Amino acid sequence: MSQLVLNSNLIKSNSARRSNILSAIITKELREMYRDRRLVALSLFIVILSLAAILFGFTENSRLARERVAAAKADQLLWTGQGAKNPHAAAHFGQYAFKPVSPLSFIDPGVNPYVGTSVWLEAHKQNETQFRSARDKGLAGRLGGLSAAYILQTIAPLLILLVSFMSFTGERENGTLRQLLSLGVKPAELLIGKALSFNILILVLIFPLVAFSAIAIASFNNTINFSLSDQLVRLIIMALGYCLYLTGFAFLGLGFSAISKNSRAALISLLAFWLINSFLAPRLITDIARSYAPTPTALEFRSAIAQDKAKTFGHDETHPAFVLFRNEILKKYNVARIEDLPVNFRGLQLHRDDEAGYQIFDKHFSALQESFNRQDWLRTAPGFLFPILAITPFSMAFAGTDSLAQYDFTLTAEAHRRNIQNEVSDNIINFAHNDSYVSGPELWKRIASFSYRSPSIYFALDHSLEAIFMLLSWVAVTIIFALLSVRNLRPI
Amino acid sequence: MSSFFAGFRFEIKILLREPIVWFTIITLFSLTLFSLYNGAVRVKIQQDILSAAQGDASKRIDGQKNLLARLEKGDVHEDLPPYRDPRNAVFVGSNGGQAAFLKPEPLALVAVGLSDIFPQLLKVTTASKDTFLFSDEIENPSNLLSGSIDLAFVIVFVLPIVILALCFNLISSEREQGTLAMTLAAAHRPLALIFGKIIARALLPILTIIVTTAVGLFIFSDKYTPVMTDCLLLCASILLYSSFWVVLAAAIDGLGKNSAFNALTLLGVWVIITILTPAGINALAGYIYPAPSRIDMTLAARAASTDADKEKDAVFARYKEEHPEAKRDRSKEASLRRLASQEAAFIQVEGIIKQHDLQLEHQQEFTKKLDFLSPALLTYQAIVEIAGTGTTRYRGFLDDINSFHIKWRDFFLARAKTGASLTIDDYNSLPKFVSLTHEPINIFRPLLGVFIPTMFAVIIAFIGLKRCAP
Repeated sequence: MSQLVLNSNLIKSNSARRSNILSAIITKELREMYRDRRLVALSLFIVILSLAAILFGFTENSRLARERVAAAKADQLLWTGQGAKNPHAAAHFGQYAFKPVSPLSFIDPGVNPYVGTSVWLEAHKQNETQFRSARDKGLAGRLGGLSAAYILQTIAPLLILLVSFMSFTGERENGTLRQLLSLGVKPAELLIGKALSFNILILVLIFPLVAFSAIAIASFNNTINFSLSDQLVRLIIMALGYCLYLTGFAFLGLGFSAISKNSRAALISLLAFWLINSFLAPRLITDIARSYAPTPTALEFRSAIAQDKAKTFGHDETHPAFVLFRNEILKKYNVARIEDLPVNFRGLQLHRDDEAGYQIFDKHFSALQESFNRQDWLRTAPGFLFPILAITPFSMAFAGTDSLAQYDFTLTAEAHRRNIQNEVSDNIINFAHNDSYVSGPELWKRIASFSYRSPSIYFALDHSLEAIFMLLSWVAVTIIFALLSVRNLRPI
Repeated sequence: MSSFFAGFRFEIKILLREPIVWFTIITLFSLTLFSLYNGAVRVKIQQDILSAAQGDASKRIDGQKNLLARLEKGDVHEDLPPYRDPRNAVFVGSNGGQAAFLKPEPLALVAVGLSDIFPQLLKVTTASKDTFLFSDEIENPSNLLSGSIDLAFVIVFVLPIVILALCFNLISSEREQGTLAMTLAAAHRPLALIFGKIIARALLPILTIIVTTAVGLFIFSDKYTPVMTDCLLLCASILLYSSFWVVLAAAIDGLGKNSAFNALTLLGVWVIITILTPAGINALAGYIYPAPSRIDMTLAARAASTDADKEKDAVFARYKEEHPEAKRDRSKEASLRRLASQEAAFIQVEGIIKQHDLQLEHQQEFTKKLDFLSPALLTYQAIVEIAGTGTTRYRGFLDDINSFHIKWRDFFLARAKTGASLTIDDYNSLPKFVSLTHEPINIFRPLLGVFIPTMFAVIIAFIGLKRCAP
């Protein structure tokens, strides 16, 4: 504190005095942090562990990306190499859509292990995505994976709390708080100075991860599905989000330190909060969300679709809807018999049935996603109190690994399926003159293979407004709490 | 013994006067009850799914039987396409299917385990496994990511925290308050007194969780009776795991450092054992033994079925060339084509799944080599095994599905290959899924894995506490 005493003698103006005090507090805090070997070791541990997690994630991503690119090529060959067959039979064979690996998933894999990676685009049916990797990860995987996001969300706050819990109680216990206040340092200045120094620590933690991740993104080199600049901006926004998240913990630590009787009491309260935030709150709110917005079981979901589909005729020529449709077509073309139609009736029938199916699938799949969204909304709502509930969806959204990113993929895949269906039905309508009509590779080649462009950052922004609001509220709440706490700071 | 009881009695008195202790115990009590309630809701949903699926299956079969009866009577005048014909063994076997299911075990409410990512119900058909083995139950992926509060979570994560919170400063706080010298001097045998104090502190959370679990199981598992041996195994797992943490706290306390050191060290150990080690093992296993590419399996099945399709086309074309007068039976051709492509895919997929299983086995073997590093992971494994939602049970389920798949295929293919039509008798004698594999719960390995480090900690604690000085 000698520096502070000297500085106080040199005060000229009020603002210069304030900045001198702040810089003195920051220098002192940083020096103390640097001298605390345990703290340095813990910070290094967090950074190294996160870097290792990023490296593991990056290797895994590259492998998956290679696998999926190869699979897409192989599937394209299978599609074009079908030989001559009826176009509708080709539509039944269908194509596969493989979800490109989001580059930033090496930081935050999000829901990736719990969603399918590929979807079969076949005639008449919108299929669900298949192959959740969590199924192959076994029981250890259920206790949590090692990702940089997970470390920043659970372990990094612990470091910040351990640094900050003694901020005021420690000064009081050492007797330095009385000296400081007697020098005319305002409690709020002390608070801001300490908070700024903790923010420097946060930046020191986050910066190497951002730099390393930026290099990893640049070397990921998938410009077909993702834009490099978009991914870099996403990375920076993610980093800002984590800075906000951890800043809130710094203020929380400071606030508790100011109101607690002693360091022990501050530590116990903060650790209890950390445990509840990291482990209890996400599970508890998930259990509540599940009963708040229940989702159908797979059987209920598929039965509901089947029930609606039963109202359409499909391939059933005895169905009342089919008879109506046939009459409608005959009337439209002003003919008495199907054989007299200038176009192929079976093609028209497939087309109409597909159109009816699209509406049914849209209705059910969007309702399902809606119930997921309602659950996610409820999970994020207490994020201003338990910030892990805000940072998790925020981080996933910008990493492109949340359930909405998955939904965007399934919508694009479904649009592609519909494109295939429409193309083959049109081909039958216009060219098939009898039941033994077959088409060849020229048609298969004309129908493009599935391509996916990841939505831009605006998509993530648009869908994480609640999380952003909650994250900002968390920081605001903790700042207010800390400011209120230091107002009645007891020097002894 | 009197020193032990004196320590025990006084410590209990002190504890019960502290509001924070009451708060901790009430939290543990509420969480335990809530977790079991949650488990009961989960199991109820699983049971409802099973009965709905069984109802659905019998409705479907009854529909087929009715149509068949009408066909036999001559009531149906239209020409049914082969995929809607209840007599067609190829299409009924591959489209119809029968549900293979995994019934919840009596203690299923105790742990979610793998039950939220593995379906407990799969529709087995004559087709290759890639078409049915990987279907999933619907769940919000964010829910799966967060997890749920089950008793296994309370035991593995929360219980150690409560134990550590009560035990971390047993000696250190007395030393800091200056009462240690007096306490030790008061006893005839100081070590016995310290043990008495430790046991008193440890017993409170352990008894709370065991008694609440017993009460919770009694209240919430009304539809089925928990098996006594399973309950005893659960109790043994809780006791052993709790002992590990109690002894660990005593060992750290015995080092003679201050309370802050104890608290931070124990918290660090808790983070490493319950969070970082399982996650690290998982990441390492996935890195060294990557999960198999299920996409490869699908592609191989598709390639095989396309080849078979082409081959059949050639056969039909050749037949047409050689018998220009014969009228084409499109229905028969469609059935033969489906059978050929299905069988070609089946052979491919069986081979690939065997390879994948081997890959996953390597991964699991690797995890097994490392899991002794985390008593938390071992205890979690033990509880999940007791609940019947663990790896052994799902492996057994997959074996059952395998044998049922063979039975189902044999039944239909025997008829499909000869071109025989299905009859009402056939429908009445459809193979039924039975769960054959039921391995007894074996949690010796995980419990031994917790017991060994506990014993190490006992030795360290004993040495430390014996040297215990004010």
